[in-house]
Amino acid sequence: MFATAKDWIGDALVASQSPSAGRPAGRPGSAIALEDVSLRLGAPEGQVEILRGASLRVAAGEFVCLLGPSGSGKSTILNLVAGLARPTSGRVLEGEKPVSGPGPDRAVVFQDAALFPWLTLRDNIEFPLKLQGLKSSARAERSEELLRLVHLWRFQDRYPHELSGGMRQRGAIARALATNPAVLLMDEPFAALDAQTREILQGELERIWSATRKTVIFVTHNVREAVRLADRVVLMGTRPGRILHEETIDLPRPRAATDERVSVLASGIARRIASEVEKIVREEADDAWVAPGTHGGGDPRRHLGRGI
Amino acid sequence: MAILVAIWAAASEIAHTPLAPGPIEVGRALVGGVRDGTMVRALVTSAVRLCVGYVVALALGVPLGIGLARSRFVKQSLGPVVMGLSSVPSICWLPLALLWFGLSEWAIQLVVVLGAALPVAVATENAVKHVPPSIERAARTMGARGARLMLTVTLPAALPGILGGAKVGWTFALRSLMAGELLFVSGGLGQLLETGRDLGDTALVLAVVVVIVALGRASEVLLFARADRAIARRWGVEGA
Repeated sequence: MFATAKDWIGDALVASQSPSAGRPAGRPGSAIALEDVSLRLGAPEGQVEILRGASLRVAAGEFVCLLGPSGSGKSTILNLVAGLARPTSGRVLEGEKPVSGPGPDRAVVFQDAALFPWLTLRDNIEFPLKLQGLKSSARAERSEELLRLVHLWRFQDRYPHELSGGMRQRGAIARALATNPAVLLMDEPFAALDAQTREILQGELERIWSATRKTVIFVTHNVREAVRLADRVVLMGTRPGRILHEETIDLPRPRAATDERVSVLASGIARRIASEVEKIVREEADDAWVAPGTHGGGDPRRHLGRGI
Repeated sequence: MAILVAIWAAASEIAHTPLAPGPIEVGRALVGGVRDGTMVRALVTSAVRLCVGYVVALALGVPLGIGLARSRFVKQSLGPVVMGLSSVPSICWLPLALLWFGLSEWAIQLVVVLGAALPVAVATENAVKHVPPSIERAARTMGARGARLMLTVTLPAALPGILGGAKVGWTFALRSLMAGELLFVSGGLGQLLETGRDLGDTALVLAVVVVIVALGRASEVLLFARADRAIARRWGVEGA
């Protein structure tokens, strides 16, 4: 696995040096497939079903968003593809071969960025390259390229705590891209950011994805974010976590944050989710909950008598 | 500081007894001890013991702490022992150490190492347990695992906590050493304290105390201040 990873980096460096290659990375994405994947955790008598019978195909270079409320197993799918978790049944494939554990061909960006606090931004980005035994000159070249890609060149010597949340996430994206992975797995990477920063980073991510053509699986509970970014939105439900529905987002790119069509599609999907969320809240509130018009879609006649 | 010394001088002047020597007498005892070499020899003896014992304690305590944090087997077999022993003042082991090793360096080192290693182990265990999971998961997705993951990611991430334990370990080592030297005579500052008592030389006793304080402060400045600054720089103030 290490040998191949090195080859990709080699390719990337060659590609970045040749004048014709305007793209910062050489290796395009690879396809991901889940075949009837289930995950149960805990002792046999008290097992919790985390994910039931999930089947999903992600094409090479596709941008897929997993959208759903907490507990719908969307992060679980990400962990399964990353190799951080193993399915109880079913198969997870990258290209033709089953995923057997974590590897630098499938990079993960976490919600909290997970940059290493004891390393400067630059050393953070070079860390995965060091793991693969790259020489320091090659590392420096690659990290410069990535720092420029995410517009953090000026901040290369800062420690993570000296960066803003948005900068940390961009740094995490650069680090994830360092080994030139075939698949980029993103676990609510922008959820902890303020709305403006989030929109800027969404735009940057779209740009980086267009330039690198990685396969991206992006987990979010933000409908607009999913619609803005994805080629395809996969809607997930809870209890147990499972895939409910898929929706292809056929809008031209690059998409603007303010695009009307994004809003229209998003509100359609939001209605679908609302009923799913309501189900959870009802269970948690033990039937004391009355949904405020989530079904009615604004028709006042359906609320008659409710306020009495 | 100057005011405190002045108050001390005034108080000893008023008390006017050989049991309460003033700063001048203590200074004289200090200079005398340095001149005839007893103070220097004692300081060197103690410092060497302290350093040897402390290094051994770190070498045992850090791996033990990692084991406690990461291995269920180690936790279940050694966890209760470590918790129990760390509440015992290590000087309690001196009689046993003397029976085992006789009046030798080994006996006093056993006390120093036991005193320092346990707090280091407990702090290391906590620090490793509290490394954010996403840090290690991120490293695993980059292909790090096993010993390499531990050395290049988990331990650096746990460093602020481990350093805290190392500081506690250092003071424990110093305390254990002084207690051991007081009870069991064979060179060192503790013994010099005992000599001062035997001779009724209060000035000498206080002079030794001054040297012990200086040793503690110097180690703080030389060993830990730099590490503290480095950690504050990286983690930000809240992490240090």
